[in-house]
Amino acid sequence: MPEPPVASSPRSAAPAAGRRQPARVGDSVRIWDLPTRLFHWLLVVAFAAQWLTQDDARLLDFHVFAGYAIGVLLLFRIAWGFVGTRHARFASFAYGPRRGLQHLQALLAGRHERHLGHNPAGSWSIFGLLALALATVVTGVANLGGAKQLGPLAGWIGYARGDLFGLAHKYLAWSMLVLVALHVAGVVLTSRAERENLALSMVLGTKRTFGASGGVPAAAIVAFAMLLVLAAGAWAYLGGYAESRPEHPYLPFTMAPLAQNDAWQKECAGCHLDYHPSILPARSWEVLLSGQHEHFGEDLALDDDTLRVLRDYALARPAEKHATPLAWKIDSTTPPASAPLRVTETAYWKRRHAELGAADWVRVRKFACDGCHLDAKAGTFLPGAIRVGLSGPAVGKDK
Amino acid sequence: MKRMCIPIALLAAIAGLLSAPGARADAVDDLLARYKSQGATSFSAAAGEEFWDRPVVDAKSGEPRKCSLCHTTDLRRKGKHATTGKVIEPLAPSVNPKRLTDVRDMEKWLTRNCKWTLGRECTPQEKGDVLVMIKGR
Repeated sequence: MPEPPVASSPRSAAPAAGRRQPARVGDSVRIWDLPTRLFHWLLVVAFAAQWLTQDDARLLDFHVFAGYAIGVLLLFRIAWGFVGTRHARFASFAYGPRRGLQHLQALLAGRHERHLGHNPAGSWSIFGLLALALATVVTGVANLGGAKQLGPLAGWIGYARGDLFGLAHKYLAWSMLVLVALHVAGVVLTSRAERENLALSMVLGTKRTFGASGGVPAAAIVAFAMLLVLAAGAWAYLGGYAESRPEHPYLPFTMAPLAQNDAWQKECAGCHLDYHPSILPARSWEVLLSGQHEHFGEDLALDDDTLRVLRDYALARPAEKHATPLAWKIDSTTPPASAPLRVTETAYWKRRHAELGAADWVRVRKFACDGCHLDAKAGTFLPGAIRVGLSGPAVGKDK
Repeated sequence: MKRMCIPIALLAAIAGLLSAPGARADAVDDLLARYKSQGATSFSAAAGEEFWDRPVVDAKSGEPRKCSLCHTTDLRRKGKHATTGKVIEPLAPSVNPKRLTDVRDMEKWLTRNCKWTLGRECTPQEKGDVLVMIKGR
């Protein structure tokens, strides 16, 4: 049951009747155990990391790791809400919405009602943040599984639905940011009303008591176990970077390798990267192969047998087959009436490379996708396999 | 000992056939014979070398083009594709034994590259001279 409120300011605080422990008024007692504080600040760090890594394919593996970490933290916090120490338990701050509103009205009217643990308004930001964070993690994993066909839900969700989950993920994250702002505002207002730094309480764990209860145990061993689990996860997920070498770069995301073809690799790679057929629609390959005598100013002079092999291979695996996230994007964003002859002519490619300027294309030519995309030869073009402006092999090495 | 010779020779021949399907050491001779039947006379590495570095102004772009633009004049070194920047493995068979082993491949490259460089197909004489020159590198 929620603890009874004590209508008072700290100065006029009077000892409540029936005090169980001999804590004197004004004493600092521990109200937040170590796991609760660790959860709070790790969530703050991870949430900030998510805003810094959002929408950047190069950092998607860090974003996804932080998302999994948040998921684990949330599961822990929900369990701790049932078995944790007094003020961490949901039952100790399970106030109804009416009580929350009343508390807010009182606070704004200058009649603050003091609570040692979460107050009724604060409790609603806690429940709201936990619910929003959980929904954001779930939609994020669904987005990853659908739009990128990666993670635990890969293969279970289609590309289009994955994009919808991505939209939901975005709106939920923004809602969470708004609630974080309200939460911080509430902490500031309450700190002023109580003349005690409540953010510092979440760091040190202590608060000046007004007599209703004594302290709670630190539960340091639980906090230690929590750190251990997160560190093991970080090592399993990101440890590959420690062993990454330019000749064997660590690729955090992998998918089943696409079908390759000896003739295709030999004929295309004679002059440029052997772009996988999945990066252009079938109609583009038709034009390119039937126009082999006018191939960007060169006569390819391919014999009929070779041409047939190339055509069979390419037309069985064009973008329309959606073998990769890139193939899906190219197919779904290229107008059916247009047959781009270079992937660099597609709207999708241009959008994803818009931030690169002329100077970048001197270092890495547009022909050499593998100058930045470490999995370009495989044709998968996965996020997390892009090394530009980050450590890894020299950009444009294939020149 | 003598009885062993025939099976060993047979095995060696089979292994040789299996190890490089379609690739034969005398591929250049086959092509040279074909060029002669098409009207070429005797071939000269010196003529091939001169042809290799002779610039021809491209009608469309106005820029001078020549074989050595991409392949360089030192065929034992790597070259670079003029448009895409892709590395071209050395042409000299002494450092790249895969070169000059496939007739179809040689014909393809000679057609493609002559057309780009000169704006026309090479004559059998020009192709033969260049092949003889490359073979000696």
